[in-house]
Amino acid sequence: MYSDLLHALPDVFAWTNFAAVVIGVIAGIVVGAMPGLSATMAISVLVPFTFGLEPLVALGLMAGIYNGAMYGGAIPAVLLRIPGTPAAVATTFDGYPMAQKGEGGFALQVAVVSSSIGGIASAFALMLLAPPLSKVTLLFGPSEVFWVAVFGLASIIFLLGGNPIKGLISACFGVFVSVIGSDPIYGNDRFTFGQLELLDGINIVILLVGLYALPPVIDLLETPLKTDGVNSSKLGTEPIWKALPRMNYWKTWLRGSFLGIWIGILPGAGGSMAAFMSYNEARRTSKHPETWGEGEPEGVAAAEVANNADTASALIPALTLGIPGTAVAAVMLGGLLVHGLQPGPMLFRDNPDIVFGFMWQFLFGAILLVLLGGSLATNSFARLLNLPRPLLGSVIIVLMLIGVYSINGRMFDVYLMLGFGAIGWVMDRLKFPLPPVVLGLILGGFAEENLRLALRIGRGDPMVLFQNTTSLILVALTVAVVVGPTLKKRFIDSRKKA
Amino acid sequence: MPESRNSRLTRPETLTAGGIIVVAAGFLVPTYDLRAISALLPAAMLIGLIVLSAFLLLADQRKASAGEDATPMTTSPKRVIGAFLMIVSYALACDFVGFYISTAVTIPLVAWTFGYRSPVGLLIATVIVVGTIWAIFDFGMSQDFPTGRLWGR
Repeated sequence: MYSDLLHALPDVFAWTNFAAVVIGVIAGIVVGAMPGLSATMAISVLVPFTFGLEPLVALGLMAGIYNGAMYGGAIPAVLLRIPGTPAAVATTFDGYPMAQKGEGGFALQVAVVSSSIGGIASAFALMLLAPPLSKVTLLFGPSEVFWVAVFGLASIIFLLGGNPIKGLISACFGVFVSVIGSDPIYGNDRFTFGQLELLDGINIVILLVGLYALPPVIDLLETPLKTDGVNSSKLGTEPIWKALPRMNYWKTWLRGSFLGIWIGILPGAGGSMAAFMSYNEARRTSKHPETWGEGEPEGVAAAEVANNADTASALIPALTLGIPGTAVAAVMLGGLLVHGLQPGPMLFRDNPDIVFGFMWQFLFGAILLVLLGGSLATNSFARLLNLPRPLLGSVIIVLMLIGVYSINGRMFDVYLMLGFGAIGWVMDRLKFPLPPVVLGLILGGFAEENLRLALRIGRGDPMVLFQNTTSLILVALTVAVVVGPTLKKRFIDSRKKA
Repeated sequence: MPESRNSRLTRPETLTAGGIIVVAAGFLVPTYDLRAISALLPAAMLIGLIVLSAFLLLADQRKASAGEDATPMTTSPKRVIGAFLMIVSYALACDFVGFYISTAVTIPLVAWTFGYRSPVGLLIATVIVVGTIWAIFDFGMSQDFPTGRLWGR
């Protein structure tokens, strides 16, 4: 089962594939360091540019960006008390007070070492857990695959928190977008309105760029951020090997890695929750909890190790079942589809070199974090905060247009992307979750095809969907995911009243 | 105090829910011409959108009756509208005037309009970005960009 993992290793060391990870990590740190930009947005903008690249080069870039951005978010969190990514909120609690005391450099070094450890643990979890899970899912037939898709959508809607009605609307919208184009079985047009450009359906990249890249650009132009550069000018960074002996946080790193991996696997949870839980646990078990919040380096370590431990582990359900654990994982699924790699059990059977190579790239990306973001580079990355946001916004607009135009060489796709962007901005402002839209688009066609196949096998009898144990377990899990949060809330409310 | 009838109907969530209902109902019409099995999933999703949006609308109106203020979608609507218009204009300009001219104008124009006022910085950034795009995409990858419908190309 794990022999494929070793066979994939030589490909990862091809210079183009390795360079892709290096470039990805640097780009990820830059993106993460810019408040308002996220790994999701960066990967969305990047995906169309990877069409002509080898799959491992493209996936290496994505793995690097994901790892880099999760650490990069700590830079403004420490220096400005503005989390560069949502997962870096908990980093501000102790990181910013450290910067105010003139220990910003050490805080960033703690962050980078912790991020790296979390990323390494997460990559190992992906390597160990994904292959056996993929073997199990290989046994699934059309009705089980249909229920896996339904379970995936239900999990991301109901476990994501927030308003379930908005989550459901997002998912319905995503699934509806997935049916636009020719019917996969009968070939008749659905909702194309005579537009030849829509016959093949809507390319996922157009949706990704619109939903995830346009709203942050509008944010960049809407709210100019003024930085005084005070904290970034007094980092006081010493070489990382000199700082390492001061970092004795093994228990926190271990606990945070475990929490991050676990939360990453759960669909819909994400890095913010992992960081908060790890921070709270570390504080609860600390001998000096009163120093937390006033510049305790262990607080930075707890938050950063957990938010990076959730990166590769979020891909465990994504690669094996096609259910992403986080928004970034959902976008990465889109990246896999662009290269003709359908996430799910067949991926491991048909493309072992690519899928296992991708896992190695995650591991190397996490190790490279310390080398690329650790010492002198920390100072340089901190200076990124002074980049003018309007200029950055205008450059991203150009990149978005180039990326989407180059998919098919037509402006129709650009206009479509702008339409999705406007929808994405409204959804973002009204707090409609975006991951269910992407997942709906990915799983919609997949679910429909398998539903219709299952119904054909059962000669039109819908009971075919409930005729085996695996399907029933998946139905029960779906019901649990849908009903569970409501029951839990009622239980907590009734205990409070009592 | 409960909001006036007019302001209750212009709450962002109410407007959005209403919009979804109208658009989804419009998309339902073509499903009648499809085979039943082809129409199953799209019709289910559209009906789902209509029902869920109705719930959303009702929930928002209940909040309005309870005197709960709607959160504004933006604190600076002019900047947001301006940003959207500039992005759409850039896409149209690329289509009708051509990619390189539009890009060379858009980068400094957007950055200047939204607060970056250094002429030298703008010039350097524009030259670097346009030059890099030309070197990588046009020269390196032979990628064709729109040359402008107005020029008949």
